[in-house]
Amino acid sequence: MSVRNARRNAWNVVGVAIFVVMIFPVFWMVSTAFKSDDQINALTPTWFPLHPTLKHFRDALAKPYFWDDVKNSVIVVLVTVTIAMVLAFLAAVALSKYRFTGRKLFIVLVIGVQMLPGAGLIIPLYVVLARYHEVNTLTGVILVYLTGVLPFSVWTLPGFILGIPKDLEEAAMVDGSTRLGAFARILLPLVAPGLVATSVFAFITSWNEYIFARVLLNDGSKQTITVWLSYFLGTSRETDWGALMAASTLTAIPVVVFFLLIQRRIAFGLTAGAVRG
Amino acid sequence: MRLRVVVAAALAVALGVMAASAGASNGHKQANKLTVWLQVDAQSGWPDVVAAANQAFQAQNPGWTVNVQYQNWGDHLQKFDATIAGNDTPDVIEMGNTEMTAYMTSGAFADLTASKSQFPNSDHWLAGLAKSGLYQGKLYGVPYYAGSRVITYRTDLFKKAGIAKPPTSLTQFTSDLKKVAKMEKGVKGFSAMYMAGTDWYSALDWVFDYGGTIATTHAHKWVGALNSKQSIAGLTAYKNFFDAVAPKSAATLDEANPAPYTVFSQGLAGAILGPAWFSCCTGTKYKAVTGQFVMPSHVAGKPIPGFLGGSDVAVPAESGNKAQAIQWIADFTSTANEQSLQNKGNIPNATNLLGNTVNARAAAQSWFVPQAKHWVDVENGNILRTMLAQILTGKLSVKQAATTASDNIAYTLNQS
Amino acid sequence: MASAAETTPKWSRRRRFTWRRAGQGAVPYALVAPVVVVMGAILGYPLYSLVRIALDRYGLTELIQHKGVYIGLKNFGSVLHDSVFWHTLLRTIVFAATNVGLTMVIGTLLALLLVRISTWVRVLLTAGLVLVWSMPPVVAVQVWNWMINSENGVLNYILTELHFGNYFQHNWMQTPLSQLGMVTTLIVWGALPFVVITVYAALSQVPRELVEAAEIDGARSWRVFLDVTVPVITPVLLILTSLSILWDFGVFTQAYLLIGQPHITSANYLMGIYLFEQGYVNANFGLGAAISILMLVIVAAMSVVYVRRMLRIGDVT
Repeated sequence: MSVRNARRNAWNVVGVAIFVVMIFPVFWMVSTAFKSDDQINALTPTWFPLHPTLKHFRDALAKPYFWDDVKNSVIVVLVTVTIAMVLAFLAAVALSKYRFTGRKLFIVLVIGVQMLPGAGLIIPLYVVLARYHEVNTLTGVILVYLTGVLPFSVWTLPGFILGIPKDLEEAAMVDGSTRLGAFARILLPLVAPGLVATSVFAFITSWNEYIFARVLLNDGSKQTITVWLSYFLGTSRETDWGALMAASTLTAIPVVVFFLLIQRRIAFGLTAGAVRG
Repeated sequence: MRLRVVVAAALAVALGVMAASAGASNGHKQANKLTVWLQVDAQSGWPDVVAAANQAFQAQNPGWTVNVQYQNWGDHLQKFDATIAGNDTPDVIEMGNTEMTAYMTSGAFADLTASKSQFPNSDHWLAGLAKSGLYQGKLYGVPYYAGSRVITYRTDLFKKAGIAKPPTSLTQFTSDLKKVAKMEKGVKGFSAMYMAGTDWYSALDWVFDYGGTIATTHAHKWVGALNSKQSIAGLTAYKNFFDAVAPKSAATLDEANPAPYTVFSQGLAGAILGPAWFSCCTGTKYKAVTGQFVMPSHVAGKPIPGFLGGSDVAVPAESGNKAQAIQWIADFTSTANEQSLQNKGNIPNATNLLGNTVNARAAAQSWFVPQAKHWVDVENGNILRTMLAQILTGKLSVKQAATTASDNIAYTLNQS
Repeated sequence: MASAAETTPKWSRRRRFTWRRAGQGAVPYALVAPVVVVMGAILGYPLYSLVRIALDRYGLTELIQHKGVYIGLKNFGSVLHDSVFWHTLLRTIVFAATNVGLTMVIGTLLALLLVRISTWVRVLLTAGLVLVWSMPPVVAVQVWNWMINSENGVLNYILTELHFGNYFQHNWMQTPLSQLGMVTTLIVWGALPFVVITVYAALSQVPRELVEAAEIDGARSWRVFLDVTVPVITPVLLILTSLSILWDFGVFTQAYLLIGQPHITSANYLMGIYLFEQGYVNANFGLGAAISILMLVIVAAMSVVYVRRMLRIGDVT
């Protein structure tokens, strides 16, 4: 056992080292946000702001529309993720459990959409949304995000559904439970890690998206948080590193909170592998 | 069977979203609403000027609202293009003065010639700035404000080096900077003059100072002029100046990253060249020892010609509220507003409003880019920056680099 | 699935409604319909107009008049005759291959590492990865700019202090290779969390009893890995690789913002930037549309193997 422990400790050290490297840019962002301007501009970096200042956070929050835009982002993300997960899961069930004519065509279509160069579609998408008066509305942005998130989700989920051992499904049916019951009790928990991974992806993609939100949303009170953030860089004048880093930190917080909320689901998904049929 | 119910419900949700998106039509232009696009500089720098304009406008047009939407320099043209395609343009738009020509030649803006007299001080507009809003004698853009480029320097270092007065010639300036460099030799990373090598807004000052220019027209064709004798003399002088006083590591850098004032605020520059508002951001430590003067020419006693950067406001051709748009622009560029822009370190749009600041003195002598439809392509293709980097790193001789760039520019400008 | 149904005929008979018989009905169509409807409604017109504009001369003037001038395949001709296009294509392929390779290899290794470490390290590392993942690319680019700036970037400081050489005021944006190298660090860093967490989710589906049983049987861990783990994570790895290819081939935001417009030249174009510069910045929308379509064709050609594999989803293996 001690050999095993030693080996585990060695892996732990590697794990911590990788953690340090990966986290450094995030740390540097947060730490910069708390430094004074003199510390930020100095040639020799200050690792930890010993006398942290909240000035940059105050400056960032003083920019108009912060809370409006956070609210907009939350709405856009929640609606997009919910709709995308429901629709994609249904399609994924069809793909992994049914054989039907047109199935291949559907797969090709989905993959094709995924391959579209987004930048090439900016103006045509604007035109179609303007025609339906969905420019400068959250609905328009949600619709565009759905086309980005759906193909990915439809692609990914069948992989997770197929990863479920077949005897588990069959065992569920032997139990005599109803089909939907079997589905809910057995299939759903088993694809939970997949659903979580996919919805985390959908969440982050739509939270972080910038270009389409920038083009489609005009009013300060109707924009998303990444667009709000871009106003720190848009002037022809100074870049205020401190306020920019503070604003960036604020932008990242909701995603972290989201992860903390679904942490339990992930842990649940991890143990799901041990369930026997 | 319940699976079917789930499927049907999902379908209903999807269709509901589609229906909602088709139904909720709040993207429609309201009758009494004026949409204005300004750059974010106004939002952070002079919101009071915008508020004053809106107030005046609403007093004249009861029942109207003004919706000011702030844009970024990086992507506002792409956004504007999208609104043109979608028949959804704003009623008023701020444009950078080098961005105007491409849109004027394509017919994007309404002709404002007949309304010129409505705009305050329009008889005294700054010639250099007003030119950017004119095309074939017609007025498409109303001058908003400008900024000239000056030297921002450390008065303490210059004094310590025994320099009593701002230099009056390029040669004198160079030798002053050399004195400062010698004195501060021990400071790691310090340079007497910090400038980004590929900052063409600065570098071309030398070209124009020696009588050169970027391109000229001949028989309705553009001819590149950077390889003319005068231009090459200017570029050579720029290279000599850069080699003598600026840091080698900055030869391929641009003026945005790092910003010259950042280098200044770190105590690593004796002087920087750039917009007059640089004085805002020289750092708490050096605020008290920050001075400015107009960059001298190689001809003693004269200032070097500087690039006149600025903004115009225009009315998109598709705007449905042109009369109101014109009125708002008149309110926005009122004498009081322009004066308050000047108080914030900008150059007002008319000569009769100019105060006697360093900024204003520099504006008297200025140069501008060729007014060609495809000039933006030259800027975006970074033709000038590539040339400057080649010259400063010694990759090509001045003549070779200038000839290549000159040919490139002529080719780009003459595209149909 | 078909084989599973065949081996369980009893239930098929007993229940009115089975996976298999339902498959012959309308259910699968109803299941995929919402996705088709949503994507068709939003993308139908844009795709049509993309193709139409690609055949037009469509610049700023035409945009303002809402009417292009039909010029047939001229846009495609001028792109294909432009040596910049071919250089850009080659550069982008090398760039994408490097990024995908690094992302997938490092990502899979990290996921395997996650299985082997103590819970507290796993939680720490996962939390760190999610933090990284949560950084909007727009923000990450600014943090990178801030870390690698030549004046007082912390990267130059660390490299100098660790005696890797004198990096004082080293300019990482000096050559195209160095520029794209920095873009690669940014992209791989940003892409790793997604790959690690997804592969780890797939790994967690490996029945632990199987692994433990095999280990107790004395099977080499390498064999266990090949026989038990690899088959389970292969579909996920395939999807991730192809997705990474798509993303890295079309990368735009990070490269454009990190290199910075002032330094974008044909010497460091990637396909996404080439499209943006030609189509939007120079307002030559017809040419941009032609480039978009060519990109689509190229990506499709690169993914042929993968598409064929995807088409077999759910097929009997």
